[in-house]
This record gives sequence, C-alpha cells and structure tokens, in this order.
Amino acid sequence: MLFVELVAQGLVQGSIYALIALGLTLVYGLLRILHVAHAAFFTLGGYVGVMVANQTGSLAAAIVAAMIVAGIGGILMFRLCYQPILHQPPFVPLIASIGLYIAAEELFRIIFGPSGLSYKYEFLQGQVLLFGMLRFKQAEIAVMLGSAAIIGVLSLLQTRTRIGVACQATVSDPQMAESFGISLRRVGDINFFVGSALAAFAGVMVSVLNNLVEPTMGSVPSYKGLAIIVLGGLGSVRGTLAAALVLGVVESFGTIYLGHLLDRNAIAFAFLILVLMWRPQGLFART
Amino acid sequence: MEYEISLVTTMAISVLFALSLNLITGFCGQISLGHAAFLGVGAYTSGMLAKAGVPFLLTLPPAMLLAGVLGVVVGLASLRVRADFLAITTMGVGFLFVGVVRQQEVLGAEMGISAIPDTGMSKLVFMLFAVALAAAAGLLSSYVRHCWMGRVFAAIAEDEDTVRVLGIDVPRFKLTAFALGTALAGLAGGLYAQQLKFIAPDSFGFIESITVLSMVVVGGIGSVIGVSVSAAVLSVLPSWFQVIGDYKLLVYGGLLFLMMRFSPGGMAALVARIFHPDRWAGK
Amino acid sequence: MKHKRLAIAVTTAFALQFGAPAWAQVKIGINVPLTGFAAADGKSALDGAKLAVADANAKGGINGEKIELVIYDDQASPKEAAPAATKLIEKDKVVAGVSGSYSASTRAAAPLFQAAKVPYVVAYSIHPDVTLAGDYVFRTATMGEVQGRAGARLASDLGKKKVVLITLKNDFGQALAAGFKEAAPKFGVTIINEYEYSMPDRQFGALISKVKSDNPELLYASGYYFTAGPLVNQLRAAGVAVPIIGQEGYDSEKFIEIAGAASEGTLVTTSLDRDSASPVTQAFLKEYRAAYNSGADMVAASTYTATSIAIDGLKKTGGKGGEALKKAIESGSFSTPIGMITFNDLHEVKKDIQVQVVKGKAFRRHSVISDPVLLAPPTKAK
Repeated sequence: MLFVELVAQGLVQGSIYALIALGLTLVYGLLRILHVAHAAFFTLGGYVGVMVANQTGSLAAAIVAAMIVAGIGGILMFRLCYQPILHQPPFVPLIASIGLYIAAEELFRIIFGPSGLSYKYEFLQGQVLLFGMLRFKQAEIAVMLGSAAIIGVLSLLQTRTRIGVACQATVSDPQMAESFGISLRRVGDINFFVGSALAAFAGVMVSVLNNLVEPTMGSVPSYKGLAIIVLGGLGSVRGTLAAALVLGVVESFGTIYLGHLLDRNAIAFAFLILVLMWRPQGLFART
Repeated sequence: MEYEISLVTTMAISVLFALSLNLITGFCGQISLGHAAFLGVGAYTSGMLAKAGVPFLLTLPPAMLLAGVLGVVVGLASLRVRADFLAITTMGVGFLFVGVVRQQEVLGAEMGISAIPDTGMSKLVFMLFAVALAAAAGLLSSYVRHCWMGRVFAAIAEDEDTVRVLGIDVPRFKLTAFALGTALAGLAGGLYAQQLKFIAPDSFGFIESITVLSMVVVGGIGSVIGVSVSAAVLSVLPSWFQVIGDYKLLVYGGLLFLMMRFSPGGMAALVARIFHPDRWAGK
Repeated sequence: MKHKRLAIAVTTAFALQFGAPAWAQVKIGINVPLTGFAAADGKSALDGAKLAVADANAKGGINGEKIELVIYDDQASPKEAAPAATKLIEKDKVVAGVSGSYSASTRAAAPLFQAAKVPYVVAYSIHPDVTLAGDYVFRTATMGEVQGRAGARLASDLGKKKVVLITLKNDFGQALAAGFKEAAPKFGVTIINEYEYSMPDRQFGALISKVKSDNPELLYASGYYFTAGPLVNQLRAAGVAVPIIGQEGYDSEKFIEIAGAASEGTLVTTSLDRDSASPVTQAFLKEYRAAYNSGADMVAASTYTATSIAIDGLKKTGGKGGEALKKAIESGSFSTPIGMITFNDLHEVKKDIQVQVVKGKAFRRHSVISDPVLLAPPTKAK
C-alpha cells in the first residue's frame, strides 16, 4: 500500500518535472542551448496564474493567461537574447541564461515582494479517492492528466502536422531543413512558445498544489530540469518524459529511505551520475 | 585598516579560486558547474585538521591533495561524457558533495564547523600569504598556458577529436587539468575556512559554483589577467555596492547576461578590442 | 562687524539643531537578509527594527540624539555577513549591533562584534554557538533546544505519546528536533520515526504517505511558513488528522494564508502572544499593522525587541557603547512585545514559551509553558 502510494506520488512529481523538462528539451534539440532561464517562465506562470485567478475567480482563465504570457515571453527571449549569440561556443548561452534567470528571479522579488502570493479562492483542493485506497488531491490528478494530455497532443502535432514535421527536421539537420524552406526562426518561435507555455502550466499547477507562489520557486526546476533532459538523452522528447517520471519515482523512494544519507537533490544527481556512468548518452538517447 | 585587510584577503582567495577553475574550464574547455565542491573539500579538510590541533600551514597540503584526488575521480567521469553532459555531471557532483556533507554529524552536518582556531599569523600577514598564493597561482597558470601542456590544453578545447587522432593521450591531459585545478581550489578552500573561521555546507553549493564560473567567464575564459581582475572585482562588488543593496543580484544577473550578449570573450576580449582593433577580425 | 562671528555661531548652532548631521546621531547596525532565499524573513525583521527605531526617535531618541539604523544585506550567508559586520564596526562605527538574520550569518558576524567589544543583540537565530562567541553577544530568542523541550512537554500535556518528527534540514530544524528528543523520554513520549526535508521542498507527497503508514498520534514538524504552509495543507488533504505542533518558524500570517482551512488547530510554540494582556504587546501589534498593513510575525516582533533592548541600553548609558552598554543590557530587565526579558550569565534569555493555536484563521492563545527548570537556557557553568 505504501509502495503504491510512493509510486503514485512519484508520478505526480514526475508529471510536473515532465512539463518543465519538455520545454528544455525542445530548446536543446533545436539550438543545443541549456536554457536555464526556462525556469523563469515556470515562476512567471505561477504569478500570472495567481493574479488572474484572484481577479477573475477562474482557474481556467488563469491557466490560459499564464500560458499565453509565458509563450510570448519565450519568443521574446529567443529573439532578443538567444538568437544573437547562437554561433558562440556553448558556455556563452549557458552563462547568459544563468544571468537571465538570476535577473528574472530578482525582478519577481522586487516587483511582487519576497513573501509570495497565495490564492484567494480554493481550486482543486478537494480529495479524490482512486481504486478505493489511493487518496489524491484534485490538483494532483489534474497535473497528471493535464501533462499526459498536453504531451499526447504535442506528440501528435509533431508527427502528424507539417509544422511538427518541420520542427523535427530542423532538429535533425538544421541546414538541410532550411534549404527546404523551413525557417529556423519560425521553428524556434514555436519551440520557445510551446516550451514556455508548458512551463507556465506547470507553474500554475504547482502554485495550486502548494497554494504559494514565490520568487524562488523556479530555482530547483532550473537545474533539476537540466538533469532530467540529460538523463533522458538530450533532445529526445520521449526520453525526457520517461526520465522525468523515473526521476520523480526515484526521488519519492529515495527521500524516504535514503533521506538520512542524502538530501533530495543529492539523490537525484547521484541517480543521474550513476546512469551516466552506465549509459553516457542518457537513458533513451537516439544516436 | 582591518576592513581593508579583510577585503584584500577576500579578493586574493577569490582570485585563487577563479584561477583554479580557469585551468580546467579556460585551458581545457571543460565546463565545470560544481567547482565549489572542491573549495568545500579543501575547507573542511583544513578546518577539521586545524580543530584537531594541526598547525594551519600543515593543513594545506592534505587539503590540496584530497581535493586533487577527488578532482581526478571527477575527471575520470569527464572522460566518459561530452561537453554538455559534463556540465550537468559536474553540477551533480556539487550537489552530491553538499548533500553528503549535510548529513555527516562528524562534519558538523547542517551546523557546520565553527571556531576554527587561529593560524598564529596576524590578519595582515595572512592577507599577504593569501595574496602571495594567488600570485603564484597566476604565474603557474601563465606558465602552464605557454608551455607544451598548455598548448595541448588549448588544442583539446578547440577540437578534441583531432587532438586524439594526432595520437596525444587526451585523457591524461584532461585528468592533469582537473587535478591541478581542483587541488588549487582545495588550497583556496583552506584559506577560506581560515578567513571566515566558520564553514557550513551551504557555502559550497550550486550558487557558489555559478559565481566562480561567472568570474572566469566575465574575465575571459583562459585569460589569466582577465580572470584575476574580474574575480578581484566581483568578489568585493557586493560590499562596495551596499548602496544598491536591494538591486545587487539583479545587477549581477544583468551584468552576466550583457557580458555574454555583447562580449563573450569577457573583459579580456573587450580590452583586446580596444587596444588591438586590427586583430579583432570580426570574432 | 563684531557681531558677524556671533551671528555665524548662532546660525550654526541653529542649523545643527535641525540638520541632525551624521556625527551627532547614535548608530545601531543591523544585518538582515534582504536578497536571497531568506528575503521574506529579512523584510519582516527589518520592518520590526525600523519600527523600534522610529518609536524611539519619536520619543526623543537617546538624550535628544536621533538613532540611525545602518542596514546591511547579508543574504543569510556567512560570506556576506562577516564583511558586513566588519564594515559596521569599522566604517560606520556603530555603538550596538542587531542580528535580524539566520544562524549561519549571525555565527559569522558574532565573533567580530565580540572582538570589537560592540554589544550584539541577536533577534531570532537560535543556534547554540551564537552566544558562545562571547559576553558581548545577547540573544532574545529562545534557543532551539529549549523550544524543542517545550514541544515535548506540550505533546505530553495533550496526552499524545506516539510522535513522528518532521524536521527541516538546517540548524533551526535540527536544534528543535534535538531539544524534543532530549525531553521526550522525561514525559513518556516515544518518537516513532523522524523524517527530514530540505529548505526548497514544497511538495511532501512521499513523506506524507510514509507518515500515514506510521500512524502517529501527533506530529512535531519544524519549518518556516513557506514550508510549513504547504506541508500542513498537504497533510490535511491526505487525511492526516492528528494534532500538529509547529514552532516560531510558523509564526506568520502567511502560514495561515497558505495552509488555508488546513491551518485550523495547528499549535505553535513561539514568543508572540496575540492575546496577550500586556499593553506593550498590544501596542506593538497595533502599531505594526498601522505602519505596514499586515500582522506582525515572530521575526518582526523579535527584531523589534532586540532593537529596542539595544536602544534601552543606550538610553541608560547616554549613547555610549562598549563595556558600559554591555553592563546595561546584561543587568537590565526589559518590557517588550514578546514579554519580560532578562538575561542569564550566558546572555541567553529567560522567558516563558507561548503556545498559540490557529483558530478562526488567526493565531490565538492556547496556553503558556512556564517551567524554569525545563526551559532553562544553557549557562556558562555548562
């Protein structure tokens, strides 16, 4: 029973990780950049979500607003911050991204204050009983279903639509794709929009789960997300998804049984290092 | 005067720490996001030995040795993975270090180690000692850069595969870079523990690793002078800029971004552009 | 023009009266985390300190001289706190220092104040080593171990014998847990299990599942409002109905805001009694709300207290610091929002522990634990 519960909790956490890591993998697959600042859209989503929800009383409106705002923000970040430095060695966009993230976190703190915001109304706080024994908060179910749905839709789009195929082509061979008339910039816009919107959705869901939005809420996802996409095999969407879920479950068990030896982050990274030593290209890399 | 002395000491330790990372990242192109772990290894080793009664100067070689050995272990990991993976792996090492140390009672766990005994040196002498070590590290870095080993390092940074094809034992050079860099970081750690007289796991985490990496990058990866200057300035910037107070980190983040956006070669590149515009052929 | 010199002298004297130039002010230094992970508490602490200074200045300052609060952001980090302390002592030449920060930074700063013989009053950092820095360091907060012991006593008073500990992995949480574990056997309280979590954790799903399987009668959970809020919320949502005892870290309106309805009934061992009959406490609560438009929390109350003790001491010495100020503080008895404060020989505080309970979305008085033996802070003799 405890075992099942721990797995379930791990999947909830893993779903959140998946939503965040997907954006990272989309960006990496396309641009080979470790987009640390991605976590800023997670936090932005949280803030927009709380503010819109408190104003309108509607969670749906909050989610839509958060995703759109973050999506646009993502495009802006791509055009203004990353595009100009794409040709530089990899550490340049990495450090630039870190600088952006630090600045973003501080902006959140300066604008909204360090204490954080909470929801005025209660959303998805009720309980759900699955299979007669697993007790979940509605928000937890929403996260799992939401991420499954979104990811499912994304895969369909990627494989079944022209745009999606174009995106995939750009990832495999940007120059070839461009010679076929696919614009790198267009694909970049899409990837950043989608990725940032996903992160924002995760941000709203997490803020509902915790009833708290704080400036620093993105700091753990910023580096955990990187660990996940590496674990999954950089650039592979399916790999990222699997890695996110696996990591969620590993952390779930690890914090309970190894908690006296290592803290949560250390467990996650120990797992990552072990996997990399065994399979240096990541769990599900397609090389 | 004491305030100025402590400032200079902080600068010297930061320069030493940054130069140690420069050896790995700058000369060899291996991005390390967990370098603060080695600072921590050195700090804890030196601090614990000092509390056990070992004279300060004698605590430094073990600190360097332990850090260097761990560096080799991490270096071995770097052999298996490439570029981006390495960055994340080193980040993981950093988290592992903090995570493990936090749980060990014997290392003070969360509470850290305090009341690290005095060296017997006056504050001024300690400052001079730190400055001397930083200068020595600078000289060592310059020497390494210009001698054969350094040229190999640079080649590895440029194009690892070609170097391998040329028959050069790339792994050996990479490991040497790691060992040197981490040992020096351990030395900086020993000084750090002595200066603050109190160390805790949090001081050696991800943020600290990012900070030192930023110093190297802002200075100009590979440039000994650039890194030294940027480390010296950035380490005491918060103190000078107390007046910005609330906006400190915002300025810092913005600076990092702007530097990367407009001058990825760091300050060294900026200076080169000013003084040798002809050499600056559209890089 | 023989009146010229006189005119200048008189004008200057007038100007000095109104200008209040820097060198005539009494300076008190404070280190608080204004940026970084602890910024929320830093802001509260600073608000509390500023209010204390404003109050004192409104009443005439120290013998007519205005008090100036010199503020440094230490990011709750020892690396920033040490130079901040050095600067306060040497550049700003403060006559007293206040710590509005966490333990790590305070522990780095305390020895510096001690060496410079500048009295340093610590507001809410509870690590034991802080006062071991020397006799110029005073602490107005109840040490972690002492609070932990009170927690064990409270558990026993409630008739609960089987307890699970949920501990925040930092010096605060571990000190509390240590105190609880030390006193538990004396009250027949058994600790079934202990689980630790880290500062950035906000989701406790796995931990809660395990706790449920342990089936405790009570939970002793340490944390700050931004961890305790989500934790309590999630515990109740998961169906854990047993009493929860928290501590000072919970003591903030934000805890109630975050945990929502789940916060009802949470017990907290702290120093601020909202229902206190003391006029000093009530006046403080009212003023704070008027000034900042929100309720005071423990951090604000403690830092207000620490600052006002420093100020009261300075009033007694006429603005002089050093040995005289130290003696004034250690021998004094101060009426503050968190109660009557006196110091023992280790300059730790001797006071009762307030137990507050969340009722109707506010902190109300539950009880007071007043047991001088149990709550005795360590002394020099130890």
